[in-house]
Amino acid sequence: MKKLKTRSQHPKNHICPICCILPPHITDRVILNGTESQREWALQALRESEQFRGRREAVGSIRFMAPAGSKRRTVYNAKNLTDLPGTIARGEGDPSTGDLAVDEAYNGSGATYDFFYEVFKRNSIDGLGMRLDSTVHYDRKYDNAFWNGSQMVYGDGDGELFNRFTISIDVIGHELTHGVTQNEAALVYRGQPGALNESFSDVFGILIKQRILNQTADQSNWIIGEGLFTSRVNGVGIRSMKAPGTAYNDRVIGKDPQPADMKNIYTGTADNGGVHINSGIPNRAFYLMATAIGGYAWEKAGKIWYIALTERLRARSNFRTAANTMILIAGELYGQNSKEQKAVRDAWKTVGVI
Amino acid sequence: MRVLFERTGGFAGLVMTATIDTATLLPPEANQVCQLVAAADFFNLPATIASPSQPDRFQYQITIEEGDRHHTVQVDESVMPDRLSPLVEWMLEAARRG
Repeated sequence: MKKLKTRSQHPKNHICPICCILPPHITDRVILNGTESQREWALQALRESEQFRGRREAVGSIRFMAPAGSKRRTVYNAKNLTDLPGTIARGEGDPSTGDLAVDEAYNGSGATYDFFYEVFKRNSIDGLGMRLDSTVHYDRKYDNAFWNGSQMVYGDGDGELFNRFTISIDVIGHELTHGVTQNEAALVYRGQPGALNESFSDVFGILIKQRILNQTADQSNWIIGEGLFTSRVNGVGIRSMKAPGTAYNDRVIGKDPQPADMKNIYTGTADNGGVHINSGIPNRAFYLMATAIGGYAWEKAGKIWYIALTERLRARSNFRTAANTMILIAGELYGQNSKEQKAVRDAWKTVGVI
Repeated sequence: MRVLFERTGGFAGLVMTATIDTATLLPPEANQVCQLVAAADFFNLPATIASPSQPDRFQYQITIEEGDRHHTVQVDESVMPDRLSPLVEWMLEAARRG
């Protein structure tokens, strides 16, 4: 039986437990390599954390953190350059700006925060109230969104194939979930652990969308990145969790390469060993178990996956480990041979993992 | 000179590819590609330019064949050398044209 991890023991969690401004190694790097204003900001952050540290020593083991349930969002505008984070465009509590990308990043990160807090009692990405920083209008014609280890970054798309990357709320949830994963199971971004990392981001991304839309499992279309393609592309979205491999089939971008089961797993080296390709397998397992269980997918299937991600899985966990771990969790939560445990087992069997 | 270009990864995980042969391009375009390859000092770039992976970043693989010379470079978007990015941009436009 694998030992249950607690948050304080986790090796990834060496972020200052009081103030959660930034891990010290990041501020150190900014002080060494940053611009003048970044350096000043990093030094200020460090001074504040030193002050807090002193205060902590005075009061013993009490831990200070951002008040639970309070979001701290900042959206920056990179103005089509690649310097991060860019210029502040909207801070917490500020009114709408009229810039769609800015407002979508603000609202989407808020919905993601609310999801993790209200469903799992998780206070932000790190569980300690970490700030939610997003940069929009990154680079020119940039067909991507990513998590750089401390913030979200969104491109405007090239306008020919892709629209702006904030257009789909599950993309925002996907990026923020990369931050959660980094702080929890810390799945390495390669091969099967990398495909699981991607799948957790798609799963919580779609759950955030389903919760906003008040959809039960059978009401969702299970499409990741709906609306991201322009009308010129023959596709419904980037990935289909229900039917991996069917999201698009287009003259320019080709056909959706995702496998729906282990028989068709990709074994090449592209895309870090197919992290965005083989995620189709666990994605479909989630879809299958959520629809078999029924109701709102975040309530049971989502809970099983959340516990796996935050308490059980490790950096090098593969599909089989994830499957067996989730079967155990379902048994603990809902009983051995419960309907829920059967749904989890059947789902992983259907996709050929066990 | 032949340039083989592949971009993988990114949030969408799309594979974008383009292959060009300067012998079949219009002279001004062929000239432009040769200049971009020279500016990148391509044949002196290391075969792998990697960094700890940031989720959803792009990966590029570029191969250039010129006479009996042949070189392949794999590079992560987050550590793209400045001198290489204009060539990458040019090839990406070619890939988008399909």
